[in-house]
Amino acid sequence: MRKACTGIIAGVAGALLLSAMATAQTAQTNTAQTNNAPRSPWKYYPEDARANTGDGGPAPKRDLSGTWAGESSGAGVRNIVRPETPPPLTPLGKQLFDRNKAESSGVLIAQSNDPHVRYCDPFGFPRNMTDQIRSMTITALPERTFVLLKFMNVWREIWTDGRALPTNVGARGRDAHDPTYNGYSIGRWEDDFTFVVETTGMAPETWATEGGYPHSIDARVTERFHRESKNDLTMTITMDDPKLYTRPVKLGTVYFRWIPSQTFFDFSCVPSSVQMYLKEMADPASGGK
Amino acid sequence: MKTKFLMTAALLAGLAAFDSPSLAHHGNAAFNLTTPVVLKGAVVTEFIWINPHPLIKADYKDEKGNVQQWIMEMGSTVSAQLIGWNRTTVAPGDVVTLYVWQAKTGAFAGRFNKVEFADGTTMRDTQTGGDDGGRADRGVRQ
Repeated sequence: MRKACTGIIAGVAGALLLSAMATAQTAQTNTAQTNNAPRSPWKYYPEDARANTGDGGPAPKRDLSGTWAGESSGAGVRNIVRPETPPPLTPLGKQLFDRNKAESSGVLIAQSNDPHVRYCDPFGFPRNMTDQIRSMTITALPERTFVLLKFMNVWREIWTDGRALPTNVGARGRDAHDPTYNGYSIGRWEDDFTFVVETTGMAPETWATEGGYPHSIDARVTERFHRESKNDLTMTITMDDPKLYTRPVKLGTVYFRWIPSQTFFDFSCVPSSVQMYLKEMADPASGGK
Repeated sequence: MKTKFLMTAALLAGLAAFDSPSLAHHGNAAFNLTTPVVLKGAVVTEFIWINPHPLIKADYKDEKGNVQQWIMEMGSTVSAQLIGWNRTTVAPGDVVTLYVWQAKTGAFAGRFNKVEFADGTTMRDTQTGGDDGGRADRGVRQ
């Protein structure tokens, strides 16, 4: 048994070593190719972001502004910690969750009812902070902070003037607040390096996660953006939705790295294009329509 | 012997964990990812540079002289750009060798793996499978 354990440990260590060697080799090759190639001042080069190693020095106080690379940026950013599984669902939550046929649960595209995968519908919040994390820009006005996501060109508005969250989302009457894709957000500095955002009022037809976790209008999501250094920003996200979950559910941890050039590619899923893709490629390939 | 077997199994499991495709947008469950089909001398008929997935269409003449009309998807335009692609990397009329993970249904459709051009250079997809933002492959024409 001890020999077996030793074998497994050695195997995993070997895998780690080989992976590190492969990464190093890829980085070297890219650097060599990059050095010999003419560079465009208008393009994003992931190797530049990868080359920006280290923490870059201390984080500035109460400042998250800038453009950040996420896990799918090619910049070598750590993979996100995925939502906890299984989700702690109430009976109603399970009923809604069972309706959602997510590709990540092994469903083929032709059988999926993911509104984004089938129609390029907006992810909505909080899914847009944990799925397709490529690049994010944060900027601030005196009373608002904006989170700008390159994927689908989304912008979120976070009020920082001390106001409370709306309490009448989805109610009847002229002054009630209708739910929206990104919900209504307020933010505050917990300390000089930690910005806490709370959001409610998200459109209930959207999925909370890529895996099809549901949410209600009354869901309340808390994001904690913590800037550890100039180059490192980490966001943890939890959702409290007592109608659908028996306790607050952890939606994950998302890592970001500073992009030296502060630029990134544009990326939108286009409804007419996805219809062409599904009709000509994905549905026939998966035995669907 | 048993220890050696376990070590090998753990090593392979470890490598799989690091290199397995991420099912970020549209997954690959529909494709046979064991061995890519090789379409030598295929003629590109269309390169459709769209999101969520660019599509390559190509005609391939089989050994009996029948023309198969293929279609294959890549990672997203952004993931492809991260490894050196743009909308003109392949073009109609290019005579190339295409490697493609064919649909399990047997349709002439699949996940694009790599292309070999007439001059011997190669461009790969983001990786053999999912759309991971270009981490797994450098993909520069070489």
